[in-house]
This record gives sequence, C-alpha cells and structure tokens, in this order.
Amino acid sequence: MHAEFNTGSEFNKTLITLGIATLCFALIANFIPAIYLFVFHGIIPKGEDILKIWGVAAATYGVSWVVQPIAYYGVLGTSGSYITWVAGSAGDIRLPAAAMAQKVAGVESGTHEGDIMATIGVASSVFVSVAFVTLFTFIGANVLPHLPQFFIKSFSFILPALFAAVYMEVARKDIRAGVGGIVVAMILTYIGIQLKAPGWAMTLIIVASGVAVNRILYVYDRSKKGTEKA
Amino acid sequence: MEFQELINSPGLWLASSVMVIAVVIQAFVFLRAALAEARKVGMSRERYIGGLRSAVITAIGPSFSPVIVLLSLIAVIGAPTAWMRLNDIGAARTELAMVSLSSALVHGEVGTASFGVEAFTYALWGMALNNMGWILVSLFCVHRMSKIVERLYAKYNPAWIRLLMSGTIIGLFAYLLSGQITSPMLHGQYGKLCAGFVSAVTMLIITRLLAKYQRMQELALGLAMLAGMLTAQATFG
Repeated sequence: MHAEFNTGSEFNKTLITLGIATLCFALIANFIPAIYLFVFHGIIPKGEDILKIWGVAAATYGVSWVVQPIAYYGVLGTSGSYITWVAGSAGDIRLPAAAMAQKVAGVESGTHEGDIMATIGVASSVFVSVAFVTLFTFIGANVLPHLPQFFIKSFSFILPALFAAVYMEVARKDIRAGVGGIVVAMILTYIGIQLKAPGWAMTLIIVASGVAVNRILYVYDRSKKGTEKA
Repeated sequence: MEFQELINSPGLWLASSVMVIAVVIQAFVFLRAALAEARKVGMSRERYIGGLRSAVITAIGPSFSPVIVLLSLIAVIGAPTAWMRLNDIGAARTELAMVSLSSALVHGEVGTASFGVEAFTYALWGMALNNMGWILVSLFCVHRMSKIVERLYAKYNPAWIRLLMSGTIIGLFAYLLSGQITSPMLHGQYGKLCAGFVSAVTMLIITRLLAKYQRMQELALGLAMLAGMLTAQATFG
C-alpha cells in the first residue's frame, strides 16, 4: 500500500504543476473576448457595472463555484478536476469517460493505476467534445433539419439514459449501496422539490447521502463480523 | 459595425479561439503525462489504449446533447462566442442564464432588438466572470483536496476511505440520475424513467452476460444509451 502510494504521489505532483499552469492560462483566455471588445471597439461596461455583473453571477452560482469542485473531487481526482473545471461537462461527459476508461482497463478508482486511467479517459474525452461542438457550430444549422425527426426528438432522453447506464456501472460493484443510493436520492429529490430547495443544497445533501449509505453498510458489516467472532 | 456583423467578426473568432486552444492544449499535456505514467508502471499497451478508446466512444453520445441549445445560442450571441462557451466550463443552460442575467442590467432582452452591442458586452463579461469562479476555486482548492485525501488515507482505515470515495461516486450519480427522472414522474411523465431503465438493463446485460467480449465492453455505454433513448422515444415520444 505504501510503496504504491509513493509512486502515485510523484505523478500527482506532476499533475498539480500541469493543472495550475493550464488553469492560469485558461483564466486569462477566459477574458480575452471581453478585452478584445474593449481594445478594438472601445466597448466595456462601467467599472461599477462589472462589479454588479460579478455580484449577479456570485449570487446565482457562487455556491456552485465552491461546492461543485469539492463534491466532484472524489470522483474526478486531481487531473480530472483540473481538466473538468476548464473544459466543463463534468457529469455528462468527463465522469462517464473516466469510469469507462477504468472499467475497460480493469483498474479500480482510488488506486494509482485508476488515477492514470481516469486522466487518460477525461483528457481524451475533451478531444471528442471539442470536435463535436466545433463541427455542430459550423454545420449544425445545415445538417440538423435533414436528420430524422425521431432521432432528434430522442435527444431529450440522452441524459437520463446516460446517467442510468453509468449508475449501473458504479452501483453493481455493491448492489446494496447501489439500490440504497438511488432510492434515498429519489426520496431526497422529492422532498427537495416539495421544499423548493436550491440546487447546490441538493447536490451536497445527495452526495453526502451516498457516503452515509456506504458508512451505514460499513458499520453494519463490521458489527456483524464482530458478533460472528464473538 | 452592425451588431450581427460584430458578434460574428473574424476578430471575435480569433479572440474566442484562445480559450478553445487552452482547453485542447490542457487535454493534450495531461494525456501525454498519463500515457507516460501508464508505461512507467508497466501497464500493457492493450489495456490503456482499450481504456482510451472506450472513453472516446463513451464521449460521443453525450456530445450530441448540447447541439440544439448550441444552435439557439449561436442565434443570440453569435457563433464564435457560442462555440467558445460550449467548449469551456459552464453548461449551455448556465451560459444562457448568465447572458440574460447580465444583459438585463442594461435592459437588453435575449432574442429581441433590445439585445444590442451593449447587452452583448455585458453578456461577455457575465460569462467570463461566472467561469472565473470555478477556475479560481479549482486553482486554490484542487491541490489542497489531494493533500487532504492523502492525509485521510494515512490517518483512517484505508478500507473506509475507499468506501467514502465510492460513496461520493454513488451519491453524485444518484443525484444526477434522480434529478432527471424524479420531477417528470411527479408530473406523470415516464419517458425519462423508461430511457434510464432500459439503458441500465442494457448496461447490465453487456457487462455481465457479454463480459468476455472485450470490444463490446468498450461500446457498452454508447449502446446502452442508444437503447434507452430510442426505446423511450418509440414508447413515449
């Protein structure tokens, strides 16, 4: 366990260096269109309005800025986090890609090899999503009307189908936790809808409920082992 | 310069491409580092390339889901900005929300003539400031998170910490899945539930009964998704 950890820790350092460097680059790139409009066309919001815009963003998404990188860290790992919080699509593209890369390579998440495969999966998924968004930007308006209506309409079922397949993949490793997790999540979602709870709170509570289900099973199994011994 | 001309100008294409280039370069350096590490720890090429191929195939399906929003974003904020913002952090609906929230400060309403150059500028700043939040938090937190996890492993029973991590995975996907199916069910719509159910069963069949066909495993998620969405469309569409 320890030897395995040390080799992983060096790789982790490399990833952190790469991650911080690329995040800084992305931070600048993020503002270039806005700055371009100012430099070449002289248009910029008033200083106080920029603060106001920031305030609106912070009020609407501020909690998500903090909650999401933390809630997703356990799944994305170090490199997956760095890539996802620049390239986006955490739940719908990056996580499934990481999970499938690990599955096909036959490695467990949370191990050194698991981290390697998650990085390979997340990074290669970026090329796919960038290619498709670019393709659709240029030809989407021309191609879409020619696709069968049946196919286009089925797009509205992409996300539930995707999340269910990924859930099956992660849940079948422990059937009790898998069944318990989704049942608890649906009950909590139902309560959340009734109480009109904000999205960020639901993310936190339901992710925590997954941990709680595992904890309960862990304690239950240990106590059962204890009684067997006794 | 006319509004439509401005938001689709070559200069704006150039300015917007920097972020997309950043995204691609980042993926490239991480992929290279991970492939080198895979070789270093002695993983067989067959395994990690198989994993890579599966990730690529898996990413194709969900890459289709923003296409319709992308087209409406292009109409509102122009192709270069829509292209950039769908390639970076922030889901399509988040970008749309920021566009309408920030342009509302200068009384620009999305999709009407009141959405002019000024409203567009406000929208650009809105999306940039919003994305900055995630980037900054990651910049300050991710390396600390990795230290915290290392310390947890050292301090507590590794078996429990592993369960803790797998609990966050279960919780997160349970959250994403239940967010898709619960609310429509309350309104008597079962299409999404059907899509999820068929997809999950297909996934189980491929990974359990067809486990010995390695190539099939790489396609598993894509096939499960297609089965789920097409069945739901045929039954409830």
